[in-house]
Amino acid sequence: MKNGIRLFWFVVGCTFLFPLYWMISMSLKSKSEAYVNPFGLPKAWAWNNYIEVLSKYDFPLYFKNSVIYTGGTIVITLVAGTMLAYCLSRMSWKFNGAALFYVSLGLIVPIEVVVIPLFQLVKSLHIKDTYFALILPYTGFSLASCVLMLFAFLRSLPKELEEAACIDGTNVYQAFFRIIFPIVRPALMTQSVLIFMRVWNEFPLAFILGARDQFRPLTVGLHSFFVSVGVSHWGHIGAAMMLTSLPTIIIYMIGNEKIENALTAGAILK
Amino acid sequence: MNKYFSTKTSIAVFAAPALLLFTVFCVYPLLPQLWMSLHNHNGFQSLGFVGLDNYLSVMKTSSFWVSHKNTYLIVAISVLIGLPLSMVFALFIDVQTPRLRRFFKSAAMFPAILSVIVVSQIWVAFYEPNWGLFNAILRSIGLDGLTRSWLTNEKTVMISIGLTFLWQYIGLNAILLYTGIKTIPKNYYEAALIDGANAFQVSTRITIPLLQDVMKYVLILSSLGSMAFYAHVRVMTAGGPGDLSRTVIYQMYYTAFDTSQFGKGTAIAVIFILQCLVISFLIQRFVAREKVEF
Repeated sequence: MKNGIRLFWFVVGCTFLFPLYWMISMSLKSKSEAYVNPFGLPKAWAWNNYIEVLSKYDFPLYFKNSVIYTGGTIVITLVAGTMLAYCLSRMSWKFNGAALFYVSLGLIVPIEVVVIPLFQLVKSLHIKDTYFALILPYTGFSLASCVLMLFAFLRSLPKELEEAACIDGTNVYQAFFRIIFPIVRPALMTQSVLIFMRVWNEFPLAFILGARDQFRPLTVGLHSFFVSVGVSHWGHIGAAMMLTSLPTIIIYMIGNEKIENALTAGAILK
Repeated sequence: MNKYFSTKTSIAVFAAPALLLFTVFCVYPLLPQLWMSLHNHNGFQSLGFVGLDNYLSVMKTSSFWVSHKNTYLIVAISVLIGLPLSMVFALFIDVQTPRLRRFFKSAAMFPAILSVIVVSQIWVAFYEPNWGLFNAILRSIGLDGLTRSWLTNEKTVMISIGLTFLWQYIGLNAILLYTGIKTIPKNYYEAALIDGANAFQVSTRITIPLLQDVMKYVLILSSLGSMAFYAHVRVMTAGGPGDLSRTVIYQMYYTAFDTSQFGKGTAIAVIFILQCLVISFLIQRFVAREKVEF
């Protein structure tokens, strides 16, 4: 009985992993085999699906774009967000409370809702066909959670930290980058993982603001490949899906616990 | 030392970049949204003030109501089916042996870390009428009569997309709830066990009542998340057949970017935001009103 129940839950767990198996096996099937044998293991391992997808189509470019969007957003959000969190938690400014409340409003605006005005805004700032067209809105939308988490983290640190620095005669900027930044590294790691997951997988905004072929991230490139180019070649689609998911899967395998902590941080923070 | 570091300049240097980015890209867009919704706007310029005409005319289209029906169906699926199921999963994770718990947690969260685009494409293949997984299963158990083209059939299309969505996020929600369960002090359970309570009683009398805050968080997250349901539809059906699987956000995208009626698109967005505000207000007001103290 007990073993039966455990087996049942093991099977339920496997249904969540089945699509991963399916994606991998599909990516190694030839065009004709995909239709005849859609769910078994590939009979002949068609590794050239990957080579073809990478050489015939623009996936290396999409990959590079995704790296730039994700990296850019992480760097700008972490630097600007930590600085603001530092100011709100450790400097005496009369608007500290108000500013914290204001930034936390960012948690409740869904990004899809403002896509039309963002499209207009990006056009009027003349950043439409640059990487900033997506990096800056992503940053704006990532700041709320970053500032709140760093604020909670910084407030728990003892005041003596900077006092020592004061006595040594360093100024506030040196103190921030040399003392504070290294200390908050765990929180920064958590935030990086969160932002990576969000930006790497983001689609609704990228579909509009990263629509030009040259600036497409992987999600948009994969979508257009799926609906127009690759339609009948599931081996290619599988390989393209694997390339899109590989970085997330690798990070997930290395930092499974970290991701879990990052994703659940919001639930217990409240 | 606080005084020494907190000069006007240093405060400005530290606060300005983030506040500026946040204001310009996250808060400010809500204002032109409102302004555009009151104008006849083609994406390049305003062709004149039209008052509430955009609102009235979008509400006259049948697609508007279809998209609302679909959106609330998705909300209902994820709240009425998804949340109770996640709760069952979370309670199960809690009582499991460490090895099975680790496996189940990593497996269940896996779909949530994949891109919506990837997940939707995989499920398009599962729903494929000729060689897809679901029809293959039905044929293999002799239920050929039930096979159908899931994503082009008007009766099954929305349920099918909803199932994909449910599958993708149910594990994440379960783990959020489980994280909450872990914060409940152990001695509550010990006391209950000494009193001779069984697992079911412990769940319904201790775990669930003490989990209200986390449940509220997950409820807000999943109801607002399913309100903004869009990308799955874009990949799986592109709103079809006809307009039958459009959601509100899809209808907004379609109106603005496919038909260049930006005024009407923003009117849909404003109506949508109002609904989200009402929903979060209702949840804040009526769910878990008493504060639980440990």
